[in-house]
Amino acid sequence: MDWIDAFLASGIRFTTPILLAALACLPTAWTKDLNVGLEGAMLFGAFSGVVIGLSTESGIAAVGLTVLIGAACGAVFGYLITYLRVNVFVAGIVLNVFAAGATVYLLRSMFGVKGTLSDDRIPAMASVSIPGIDGIPVLGAVLSGHSILTYVSWAIIVVAALAVRYTVLVRHLKAAGEHPAALTAAGGNVTRMRILAQVWCFALCGLAGVQLSMGQLTLFTEGMTSGLGFVALAAVIFCRGKVLLLALMSVGFGLSSAVAVQVNASVMPPQFAQMIPYLVAFIGLIVLARTAKDGGIRIATPVLED
Amino acid sequence: MNTQTATAQQADPQRKSHLPEGDRRRRPKASGRAGMPLARRLIQPAFILVAGLIMALVLIAAQGYEPFSTLGAGLDYALGNPASIARTLAWGLPLFVASIGVCLAYRSGMFNIGAEGQIYAGAMAAALAGAYIGPMLSGLHLLLCLLFAAVVGGLIAAGLGWLRAAWGVDEVLSTLLSNYIIMLFCAYLATSPLRDPARQSGTTKEVFDTAMFGEIMPRTQLTSALFVVIVLCAATWWLSERSVTGYRWRMTGESPDFAAASGISVKKARIASMATSGALCGIGGALLVTASQGRFWTEIGTGIGWDAVLIALISRARPVPAIIWVSVYCIMRSAARGIEQVSTVPSELSLVLISGIIIAAAARAGIFSQFTALKQRFAHVKGH
Repeated sequence: MDWIDAFLASGIRFTTPILLAALACLPTAWTKDLNVGLEGAMLFGAFSGVVIGLSTESGIAAVGLTVLIGAACGAVFGYLITYLRVNVFVAGIVLNVFAAGATVYLLRSMFGVKGTLSDDRIPAMASVSIPGIDGIPVLGAVLSGHSILTYVSWAIIVVAALAVRYTVLVRHLKAAGEHPAALTAAGGNVTRMRILAQVWCFALCGLAGVQLSMGQLTLFTEGMTSGLGFVALAAVIFCRGKVLLLALMSVGFGLSSAVAVQVNASVMPPQFAQMIPYLVAFIGLIVLARTAKDGGIRIATPVLED
Repeated sequence: MNTQTATAQQADPQRKSHLPEGDRRRRPKASGRAGMPLARRLIQPAFILVAGLIMALVLIAAQGYEPFSTLGAGLDYALGNPASIARTLAWGLPLFVASIGVCLAYRSGMFNIGAEGQIYAGAMAAALAGAYIGPMLSGLHLLLCLLFAAVVGGLIAAGLGWLRAAWGVDEVLSTLLSNYIIMLFCAYLATSPLRDPARQSGTTKEVFDTAMFGEIMPRTQLTSALFVVIVLCAATWWLSERSVTGYRWRMTGESPDFAAASGISVKKARIASMATSGALCGIGGALLVTASQGRFWTEIGTGIGWDAVLIALISRARPVPAIIWVSVYCIMRSAARGIEQVSTVPSELSLVLISGIIIAAAARAGIFSQFTALKQRFAHVKGH
């Protein structure tokens, strides 16, 4: 049964960054400012984690500072899309292009390296093995031996699910997207909610990035997110704002990524396994458009400026 | 994401206002640019130019180089003599076609961000037509490759356009997702069934010489594809701006309800404009193969589709500004290469700059109105 263990463990490893990025994007879907720049934000997170880790040689500092920087970037992004009225879709696309260019730019001008930055002094994230569960075959692979951020992501699912149920904040976030006028009338601040969603998004994308660059490996490679941000986006598009469905989709997509790596190419070409998330989201989009009374998801055609 | 209460017919609903005082965003064309005085029309390009220049100078200075002379050296590399101009232009040929294709659909209210996927599909189609059919008369072979690519790209985009027109499947998201499905499928083709056994994984067989454009200027990689690009750009401009069909498409983009009321088939316009857009993107991909690479490989066009989308955005889907912007972008890229040769400023400078420029352009109106609001507030404070 070793291969099942290996497959599940690798599936969970793939799931973590997808899950973190998808949870990051969720509030922006609530406020109807779907951030399509997940890929870019994650790439910056991965880069910042490695750079801070290398200069401070402390994993905690790397994670903490990356989240803080992410939050600050989220505030800037939120300012851009609210006060400066930049179309959020345009900003997201540009963020992806910008991150791909800027991380390489910084990598080469700060370290003089092209391609990959790896160094022994980059601290690795500690992996937690839970005594007792560790030895149990399938359960051990699923529950034990992952990086701390994996457990953090699980905690965030729980917190988010509870928050959706019980907190005013989430209701305000959703109202900011669905009925801004009502939120204003109820004394809420639409702009603040929209910015808050972006702050959350960037902070968590930072975590997702750190997980990529310091979770299992300790290196940064150009374009190392390789589409994971879009997989997360596919999950968010598919789940339409529901936390548990989102978590489920992320796990499913993580496992399909694991299939791409673990299953022999002659049995199933890796590209087909990698395609699964996009196909699922695509079919979901069509089904939604056919069944939903309100015509499904609709993104207004972006306009550069008025 | 807008979960609007929109029927399939009611296209492109503007997002509901988030700002209590009302969101005054308008549709791309509604501002009636023709009537604007020249000075006002020049504000936007001038603002962008100044913003871009300042960013470039700051970035170069931050690396510890004398900004003006370094930038000058870069521009000299890009435009210094006819050969360098040709080299600058050669890289951008596929981008010209793809950008104008994205613009065409965008003008009709269809935001085709699947350009990347359609480019890959076109490149794959051209590479297959070039390698498995022929050799034959060069002109005919090239025509066949481009046609094949156009049909493949066009069919993909038409399918997505049909989903939008008939079933109301959001084309922004469906084209976004289609990118990865197509790129991964092409990667599968290039690594497994159609890979060139003589080379490393991920490339297809080299096309016949008859399926390659000839260089018109030695050692610049500028090929006779230039003429194809010029013809395509001119034809697309005519189609979009001067023909009856183009008028119908633009009407559909500006106001689908009005278009429908005046007897234009919105559905047909949407599908046809997407198909044309996809065909142009496909040809862009074909040019990658037939004018430079000579075969398909898994990262043949990385980023070109996104560049095309950015250019369509910044040129507001107008064909002529789009062509100007592609030229500017080519110069930026080439200059960044030149700068890299005389300094340690990485050539990714051009990517950083174009993103900065677009955000600056998108934020311009907001910046100005914030500034005015601030001024008014100060005046108000003083008045008390």
